[in-house]
Amino acid sequence: MIKGSESEVMINSKDRITTPQTAIVVINFILGTGILTLPRTAAEQVKTPDVWLTVILGGIVTMIAAIIMVKLSRKFPGKTFYQYSKEITGKWLSKLISLLMIGYFLLLGGFHARSLAEVTGYLLLEGTPTWAIIMPFMWISLYLIRGGINPIARLFEIIFPITVILFLLVAFMSIKIFEIDNLRPVLGSGVLPVLKGVKTTALAFTGPEIMLIILAFMKEPHKAGKAALVGITIPIFIYVITVVMVIGALSIDGVVIRTWPTLDLIRSFELTGLIFERFDSLLLVVWIMQMFASFTINHYAASLGLSQLFQKNIHPFMYGLLPVIYLISMIPKNINDVFKLGDVIGNIALVLFGFLPLLLLIISKIKGVKYETNL
Amino acid sequence: MKVKKWRSTIKKIGNHANEKENKQEFTSQNSSNHVTDHLALTLKAVKNEIGHNSDVHFREFIIGRTGIQAAIIFVEGLSDKDLIEKHILSSLMADFSKEYQQDQLYVKESLSKQFIKSQVLSISDVEEVHFIKEVTSKVLTGSTALLIDGISPALILGTSKVKTRTIEEPVSEALVRGPRVGFTESLSDNTSLLRGSGDIENLSLVKFQVGKRSKKDLVVAYIKEIVDPELVEEVEKRITKIDLDNVPESGYVEQLIEDNYLSLFPQVQNTERPDRVIAALMEGRVAILLDGTPFALIAPVTFSMMLQSPEDYYERWIPGTFIRFLRYIAVVLSLFTPALYIAFISFHPGMIPTKLAISIIGTKSGVPFPALIEALFMEIAIEILREAGLRLPKPIGPAMGIVGGLIIGEAAVQAGIVSPILVIIVALTAISSFAIPQYSVGISLRILRFIAMLCAAILGLYGVVLFFLFMTSHLVKLKSFGVSYMSPAVPYRLSEWKDLMVRMPLMMMKRRPKMMHTKDSLRKG
Repeated sequence: MIKGSESEVMINSKDRITTPQTAIVVINFILGTGILTLPRTAAEQVKTPDVWLTVILGGIVTMIAAIIMVKLSRKFPGKTFYQYSKEITGKWLSKLISLLMIGYFLLLGGFHARSLAEVTGYLLLEGTPTWAIIMPFMWISLYLIRGGINPIARLFEIIFPITVILFLLVAFMSIKIFEIDNLRPVLGSGVLPVLKGVKTTALAFTGPEIMLIILAFMKEPHKAGKAALVGITIPIFIYVITVVMVIGALSIDGVVIRTWPTLDLIRSFELTGLIFERFDSLLLVVWIMQMFASFTINHYAASLGLSQLFQKNIHPFMYGLLPVIYLISMIPKNINDVFKLGDVIGNIALVLFGFLPLLLLIISKIKGVKYETNL
Repeated sequence: MKVKKWRSTIKKIGNHANEKENKQEFTSQNSSNHVTDHLALTLKAVKNEIGHNSDVHFREFIIGRTGIQAAIIFVEGLSDKDLIEKHILSSLMADFSKEYQQDQLYVKESLSKQFIKSQVLSISDVEEVHFIKEVTSKVLTGSTALLIDGISPALILGTSKVKTRTIEEPVSEALVRGPRVGFTESLSDNTSLLRGSGDIENLSLVKFQVGKRSKKDLVVAYIKEIVDPELVEEVEKRITKIDLDNVPESGYVEQLIEDNYLSLFPQVQNTERPDRVIAALMEGRVAILLDGTPFALIAPVTFSMMLQSPEDYYERWIPGTFIRFLRYIAVVLSLFTPALYIAFISFHPGMIPTKLAISIIGTKSGVPFPALIEALFMEIAIEILREAGLRLPKPIGPAMGIVGGLIIGEAAVQAGIVSPILVIIVALTAISSFAIPQYSVGISLRILRFIAMLCAAILGLYGVVLFFLFMTSHLVKLKSFGVSYMSPAVPYRLSEWKDLMVRMPLMMMKRRPKMMHTKDSLRKG
């Protein structure tokens, strides 16, 4: 009753998460770098003020992918992707896919850590070496994930309301320099530009892939679909607000030339009469927490994958992966390399979680895997 | 404490029949010294066992004109002398033949322990004891032993009289509104306070003994119809595991049964207030009362409980909610203000509003120290003042705190050691930490504040965020008797947020906390 089983290899019956927790894990995993960069990356592709439409479309595309992943996972109750994939593809192919997935989580973790270091080093701690920023961050993540999925989910639940409140506060403060004209005309150049950016915006929503893993931990797996949809809807709102506010204030042309347009927006206005005049510190606080959340999930998902692949205790993998993620985060030489890494990860995600789950679902339907359940 | 030994042979503690059985086992191990029917021998044996103690009295006398030798043994001060004189000595030394209208000889022959127990002694608590060791241990806890020549078991008469103070208002948890009743050092007083506060159905008080050399009574209290039996079992298991010579205060028990001794946060609540204990019992928690201390323990606890005061419920709900909000703000202020000051002043002056920044920098320009040293200096000074104020005699204590704080703050500013804004911040944090109703949490927050300051000095605002994440990570991992410390805040349970940051009207709080897995989830009535 007191100290749950330390081993995470088999999923402990106490180590379950509720449906809202699942949704919040998805939300926190999605929200990351996107808040700061999405206005630019999307505007570069779309080039018209209709970016917000693209964001919504991207979200919907992600929802479809998420539903497919949930459908796939629900065929194998109580098992994570690492465990059940061998029943679809056979042992070796499944190991390969699992390793690819673990690699993806590691890359994404490294990317998150590095972007955090870049932004923090640029805005808060000029001159502080990158390692000094990344290492304490990783240690805290290690400390948290040693407790398993349940503390992770609970921490996210604490971070989430803080994020939403502070984010909305900051976003609506910037209404002062918001110009509706910057968002006009709607669909001025037709639908085509909107569609062109969908891939970029959909990739800003990477995160529902965690459903492949955490569905096994859910108390009520039949609500997984709902959790995933809610988990994507809230980021859609946050992203749309971000994009509308940023483009409304800085205009499309202004957004494209800025590395972190959202931060520039927050830094560009001052409100007197309140305690703070500038709100970039608030936004950064929220953003660091979100990066921590995303990073933690990556770290956990990769460690869990390795432990389930090799049937060993998870703790050595948690420790062992720290230096790996650290090295990955040090690969990019400069900020442009970081964004390139982000693009690469996006493309991997597209293959791994856009097409593969659909394929596996079809195969398992054809093979008629015997794990059909009536949960 | 022998409980551990008992554990090996019995499955369940608290069962009366089993306890008796074990007592026999325990005593038979020391069977070398029996109470014999030879008075002089027994007396000698008892004297040997007790040794030279001036406070142990041996009073030898002859039972009511029968010529039979008898003796009583008691400890001066521990036993009620009045009771001994009026109800033991005088009735035993009375002229039996007159008193009972019987033949002198007949009395002498029929004088048995049964006769004495049932007809002579007018005392409620009489026990027969067969072994010298038991006699001495009973005597040393205040009972009186009656030894009669020719009668073999010694009679132990309950005459103990523990000196207690009267029931007073609890000092550490003062309320504006609420009962002015606090626990005392006497366990029986405390249990009677619990029993007496309304006729509680099914209140179970299970007695344990802790301490190997100084045996102390400990009572585990719960309401059988509500509490989760697994929780009771866990609490009892941990209590029986306590293996120490002496357990002087419930703080010992707290530290020996908590889940994580490395954590800064208390995982067991202590309180002097019976009303608080009763409220906790009604929520399905377990209370632990130890003899000799007015502090009862409540387990399991959550972080939110630490920020609650019984007053929240006694006041109407809107003031209750308002005060609760204030406390949460106080926690945030007391934890983060000095850290944020350090972070903004030494790392991100650009993020402070321009006018404020100018005035801070203007006042700080004369200060030769970095923000961290400056803040540490003031914080440590105020912590010492606060500690000194606690130790000083009551009338000077608070005055000393205020005067010392004012004078040191003022002088430090004039001497140019600290900036005036820092004095405001330090005062603010000190006041905020006073607003937290539980001393044990207040002190954790004070320690955490220093850690936050160091984090801020190393990594600025980023360090403060990391500190927050680390602290929160710790809190979400922490458990108190299987209940997660941050519940009911997380996992989200909207129905229980009615009693978290806000305190909804009483008629809307009809259910007990779900995390306690109570047998009876509805509050009656």
